[in-house]
Amino acid sequence: MQTKILLDEEQMPKKWYNVQADLPSPLDPPLHPATHKPVGPDDLKAIFPMELIRQEMSRDLYIDIPGEVQDVLRLWRPSPLYRAFRLEKFLKTPAKIYYKWEGVSPAGSHKTNTSVPQAYYNMKAGIERIATETGAGQWGSALAFATMLYDLECTVYMVRSSYTQKPYRKSMMQVWGAECIPSPSTKTKSGAAVLEKDPETPGALGIAISEAVEDAATHANTNYALGSVLNHVCLHQTIIGQECREQLAMVDDYPDIVIGCVGGGSNFAGIGFPFAGDKMTGKHKDTDIIGVEPASCPTLTKGAYMYDFGDVAGLTPLLKMFTLGHDFVPPSIHAGGLRYHGDSPIVSRLVHDGVMRAVSYHQSEAFEAGQTFSRTEGIIVAPEASHAVKGAIDEALKCKKTGEEKTILFNCTGHGNFDMSAYDAYYAGKLVDYEYPDELIREAIGRIPKIQ
Amino acid sequence: MKRIGLIVNPVAGMGGSVGLKGTDGKVEEARARGAVPRAGDRARMALVPIKKARDLCFLTCSGDMGESVLAGSGIPHYQVVYTAQGKSSATDTKEAARVLLREGVDLILFCGGDGTARDIFSVVGRDVPLLGIPAGVKMYSGVFAISPAAAAELVTGLEKAVLRDSEIMDVDEEAYRAGTLETRLYGIARTPAIRGMVQLSKQVYEQPDEERAKLEIAQFMQEVMLPGTLYILGAGTTTEAIARYLGIRKTLLGVDVVRNSKLVARDVDEKALLRLTEGEKDTRVIISPIGAQGFILGRGNQQISAAVVRRAGVAHVIVVATPHKLQETPELLVDTGDPSLDREFGESIQVICGYRLAQRKKIHQPALSESGSKKGKAEK
Repeated sequence: MQTKILLDEEQMPKKWYNVQADLPSPLDPPLHPATHKPVGPDDLKAIFPMELIRQEMSRDLYIDIPGEVQDVLRLWRPSPLYRAFRLEKFLKTPAKIYYKWEGVSPAGSHKTNTSVPQAYYNMKAGIERIATETGAGQWGSALAFATMLYDLECTVYMVRSSYTQKPYRKSMMQVWGAECIPSPSTKTKSGAAVLEKDPETPGALGIAISEAVEDAATHANTNYALGSVLNHVCLHQTIIGQECREQLAMVDDYPDIVIGCVGGGSNFAGIGFPFAGDKMTGKHKDTDIIGVEPASCPTLTKGAYMYDFGDVAGLTPLLKMFTLGHDFVPPSIHAGGLRYHGDSPIVSRLVHDGVMRAVSYHQSEAFEAGQTFSRTEGIIVAPEASHAVKGAIDEALKCKKTGEEKTILFNCTGHGNFDMSAYDAYYAGKLVDYEYPDELIREAIGRIPKIQ
Repeated sequence: MKRIGLIVNPVAGMGGSVGLKGTDGKVEEARARGAVPRAGDRARMALVPIKKARDLCFLTCSGDMGESVLAGSGIPHYQVVYTAQGKSSATDTKEAARVLLREGVDLILFCGGDGTARDIFSVVGRDVPLLGIPAGVKMYSGVFAISPAAAAELVTGLEKAVLRDSEIMDVDEEAYRAGTLETRLYGIARTPAIRGMVQLSKQVYEQPDEERAKLEIAQFMQEVMLPGTLYILGAGTTTEAIARYLGIRKTLLGVDVVRNSKLVARDVDEKALLRLTEGEKDTRVIISPIGAQGFILGRGNQQISAAVVRRAGVAHVIVVATPHKLQETPELLVDTGDPSLDREFGESIQVICGYRLAQRKKIHQPALSESGSKKGKAEK
C-alpha cells in the first residue's frame, strides 16, 4: 500500500510536451484585433520575448526545458502523486483515485511551473520589468516569486474583489518584491475607462488583462506575462501530466479518467495534454479527460466555439475558443481563478473535437467535496481545486454503482490556506449558487448583441 | 434625531391562540374563548433593547396602543399625538397612521399582523417606511422583522439602513375560516433593511440597490423574450420593472399579459388567462416571489392557477428576483393547490437575478426532501 509515489530529481522531465504536434490539423490562428488577419511573431514582439512567441506557434513534439529553469523547478519538483486510499474508503468505491499535488511549490500552486520559465526567457531577452494580472492571486504570487529569482521588477494588476477578499496573496507578492495594484486602476487608460463607467466595480480578470497588456505595450522595458490560456503556458504545465504518467507506470497503472478544474485551462492542459496525446496517437484510445468548471462561468459546457477577444477592452488578439462573450463578467464566486469568459484555444479545440469533455458544478457542491477531501486526505484545497475533487468524487461514485475498478487521476492544483474566509462563508450557509441562464440565452440567440 | 411613529394593535394575535385564524372582527369572541392580549409584550421585547438610544424620539398613541408600552419599556422620550377612540382596532390604527403622517416621522414601527400592516399602508402608502414587530396571527407581508430583537436592531441602526420593497399581503379571514386560503397582494411598502453585501452581475453592491438590480433583470429579460410568444407577467415591482423596460404600463398588483412588447391584457383573472392562452403554442410565465415566505405561486397571484401553469408548462415558468430578495429568502415555496404540479417544480429552480445571471434556489418540497439533491450537473 504505497500512498506517495515519488520520482527522483533526475527523473524530472527535461522537455515539455507540445500537444500541437499531435493535433490532426493546425489550430485556427489568433487574429489581429484590428485587421482580423492572422497574427505573426512580429505582432507579439511588443509584449512577449521571442522564445515564448516561438513556443506559442511551435508544432515541435517536444521542447527542451533550459537547464537553469530545471534548477529552479527542482526546488519542489517532481511533485508527489498520492493514492487517495482514505477518500476511496470513505466513498466505498472500487475505483482507484490518484491525485497530483501541486500545492508543494513555494507559491502553493501549479502556477510556478510557467512563471519560472516565462521570467527566465524575459530575463534572457533583456527585459527589466513584467506586468501581469491576477484573479485570485495565485498567478500574481507565482510570478512575483519567479521574477525575484531573475532580478526583474514585477507589477501585478489584481482583480479588486480578490484584492480585498484575499489580502495575504498581496502580502506574498510584497515579500517577493512585486508591486500589487487593485484593478481596475487609474494607472491605465483601460482601467480608468471602466472606473469612470462603474466606480464600484469588483473588477474581473478580463479587465485586469487589458490593464497589464496596456502597461506592457506602453513601456519599452516591460513585457507582459499571462498565467493561463495561451499555448506556451499550457506547454509549460505539461510537466505535470508527464510526471503523472511516469509515476503511475511505477505502480503499473494508467488512468481511465483524467480530471482538472478549468478557468483559463492551463492546469487542465498540464495534466490532460500528455494523455490527450496518447489518445490521439492511438496509444490509449479510451481515456476520458474531463474539465470541471463552475456553473456560474460554464465556458466549455455552455459557451460558443468562436473567435473572441481574450480581454474586456478588446486589446488582445482574437482567439478561437469557447467563450461566453468577452463582455461577460462572471459573478464573484470564491473560486476566483475559474472566473474567465473564455478558455485556452487548445483545450477548446480538444473539447470541440471530443478528445476532452467538460462538466460544471455549483460552488456549494464543490465546497462540500473540498470538505470531504480535507476530512479524508487532510489537505485543505483551494476552491478552484475543489471543483476537480468534486469531479473525481462523482466519477468514483459512478464506479461504485457499476462496480468498475477504474483508475481516476486528478490534478490537485493548490492549497486553500488563504481561502479560509470562503470556507467560513460555506459553513455560514452564505454561498450563493450562481449559474448561467444558458437555456434562455440559447433560445434567444441572434437577438443577443453580437460578440464582435 | 430620528422620529419614530409607534402603533401597537393591542388585540393583534389574540385570535391565533384560540384557533380563530385572525382577529379581525372577532375580538370579543377571542376574549370569550380565553385569549389574552400579547401584542404589548411583543412590542416591549423590541423596545427594551433600544431604551438607551439617545437619538430616537417616539410619537405614539395613548394607552395600550403605544404610550403604556413605551413607558413600560423604560423609553424616556415620547409624545402622545393620538388618543385612541376604542371603537375598533382598525379605525384607531388608520386614524393614528393619519396623524403620524401629518406630524412627519422617519419610520412607522408597528406591532401587529397582516391586518395592521394593511390598515397602516392604506393610509401612508410608500410615503413613510414601515417596519412590523411580528405579533399577528397571519404574517404573509414582507414588512415584518423576523423577530422583535431584529426589529430593535433595525430601529437603532436606522441611520445606516437602506430601504427595500415589501409586499403587503393579507388573507381573506372569512374565506380562511371557511377553509380556503386566499391571499391578496394589497400593495408594496418600503421597509428598512440592514445594509448587506449584495451581488449583481457587474458589481458587488454595498447596499441592496433594488432599482439597479431590477433594471439589470429587465435588460436581460428584454433580450431573451421571444417574438410571438405570449408572456404572463405576475405581480410585483420586479415584473413591473420588466414591463416598464419594454415600454409597457403594468399593473403593480395584478397579472398582465404581453406579446411582442405590447400589452395584450391588464389585470386579468384566471378565466381570462385560460381564454387568452387557449390554443397558444408557446406561453411563458414570468413571476417573482411574493411576500415574506418566498411563495412563487399560490400567494398574491392566484390568477396564475394550476390550470394556467399546466398550460404554459412548468419549464416555461421563469422566476425573477433581486439578489437582496433572494438573500432574505432561503427557500422558495410553491402552492398551486395541485400537489402533483407543485412536485413537478422539483427541488430547485433557476432564478434570474441580474443581467445574464441566475441563482439556483431550493424549493421547499416536503415529500421530496429525503431523496437527496439532484441539481447542478451539466454535461457536454
